[in-house]
Amino acid sequence: MQISVFQAFLVALFYYFAQSPWFIGLGYWILYRPLIAGTVVGVILGDPAKGAIIGATINLLYLGFISAGGSLPGDPALAGYLGTALAIGSGIDVNAALALAVPIGLLGTVIWFGRMTLDSVFVHWADRYAEDGNLSGVAFANVVPPQILLFVISFFPVFVAALYGPPAVKAVLDFLGASVLHMLIVIGGMMPAVGIALNLRAIARPQMMPFFFLGFFLAVYFKLDVIAVGAFALVMAFLVMQSSKEVLGNGRS
Amino acid sequence: MAGARKQVTRGDLMKSWLLWTFFSHSCYNYERLQATAFAQSMIPIIRRLYTTKEEIVAALKRHLVFFNTEPNVGDVIHGITIAMEEERANDAPISDEAINSVKTGLMGPLAGIGDTVTQGTITPILLAFGIGMAKEGNLFGPFLYTVLEAVIVLGIAYFMFMSGYRLGKRAVEQILEGGLINNVVVGAGVMGATVIGALTGKFVSLSTPVIATIGQTKVKVQADVLDKIMPGLLPLLLTLGVLWLLRRGKSPVTVMLWIVVLGVVGSWIKLF
Repeated sequence: MQISVFQAFLVALFYYFAQSPWFIGLGYWILYRPLIAGTVVGVILGDPAKGAIIGATINLLYLGFISAGGSLPGDPALAGYLGTALAIGSGIDVNAALALAVPIGLLGTVIWFGRMTLDSVFVHWADRYAEDGNLSGVAFANVVPPQILLFVISFFPVFVAALYGPPAVKAVLDFLGASVLHMLIVIGGMMPAVGIALNLRAIARPQMMPFFFLGFFLAVYFKLDVIAVGAFALVMAFLVMQSSKEVLGNGRS
Repeated sequence: MAGARKQVTRGDLMKSWLLWTFFSHSCYNYERLQATAFAQSMIPIIRRLYTTKEEIVAALKRHLVFFNTEPNVGDVIHGITIAMEEERANDAPISDEAINSVKTGLMGPLAGIGDTVTQGTITPILLAFGIGMAKEGNLFGPFLYTVLEAVIVLGIAYFMFMSGYRLGKRAVEQILEGGLINNVVVGAGVMGATVIGALTGKFVSLSTPVIATIGQTKVKVQADVLDKIMPGLLPLLLTLGVLWLLRRGKSPVTVMLWIVVLGVVGSWIKLF
């Protein structure tokens, strides 16, 4: 499908919103996630369900995403907004969309790096306002110039890419043919393993691996959906918390 | 005692919390990370407690130093800082160094705990639920994630901020060293590991079209061999392999490159 100027505008605007402080600072926690990004792009492009499916798939790669101390191991929001827009716009398979989203997410770190570097300038503006005891000046320096900068460096690249990207992606894939597309689908099918393993490494100590297998078996043998596994998981979590309390002997009433 | 005791109001605390919650990463930068956001969040407090220009300048400078923590669990630092500023404004002997050392002493450990709890555990578990539904095109998935994440994240942030102010430095001991957090982290780890196992089974996909010919019989390797051993065997082995590489210190980007190579070569020789 052809993405209109207005649709590209909205996609780019939401990519900015995802990193912005508006929405009670919840942008990073909600709009930034590919699950939500994909759904939003789906709504903008008139196919919410497709967007949600693509966003959810891309989000698997970023399940273990943690940005700590100003480092950013990829940009889930760019992968989510631009990846979904390109995928719907060029009409490619969901797993191929994930393979496409990988390099996009890595490119996003450039925007992050630019922002983190250039924002340092405004800290010195805040210092000058502080010298004068100008309270609103300090607030101004923290909000207005860095947000204008962020808007400029995040809105325009996505606007242009969403508008002109889909025909280009389609042309390249048509040129490369079915075997390359199959390759992308295979790669996209494997990629979620990275996000899953990253998250597993972050939260599960090695002693918790049996629970990982429990969840896996519940899914493959009993075909339970994730929420149903979550119910079992909750029970297991309570049992473990109770027994660890007893073992440690610090049972508090 | 000379004069009435200076005290921040409930409204000041609320304003300060909101300023931080909105703008904690508005001007995030390599030089001092969240410094300007911390200073901005102290503005309602400074307005209430200090009147002379010297005091205001000193307070702003005090809070424009390097600061970085997890923005929700770390809110306890803001609460404690406000409690200390209040004492200071009432002529208690609290130096700039005292306030700074509390802030810098707490921001690291709270960032570690906070990132593990919010970004590392709560968010992925809620995402897993949302993804599970959204993969089938069910829009209730993203909606559920949005509501639960918003309530939990803001709930944690508000609770930590107000506890920090009410309990002062004791807050950290009460909240962190009471075993509560540790117990929650263990429970969340169990829950996370189980849910992530389900995601592996459902959404990592890898299969082989290879058909082996043994004598006269043709054997479909995927359907007749691998699926008989265990459905989802290849995705499971792949995920465990990736985990092993990550635990050995390989970077995620390196692992992704290896997967690309494996996918290209594997589909080239028609293994996948």
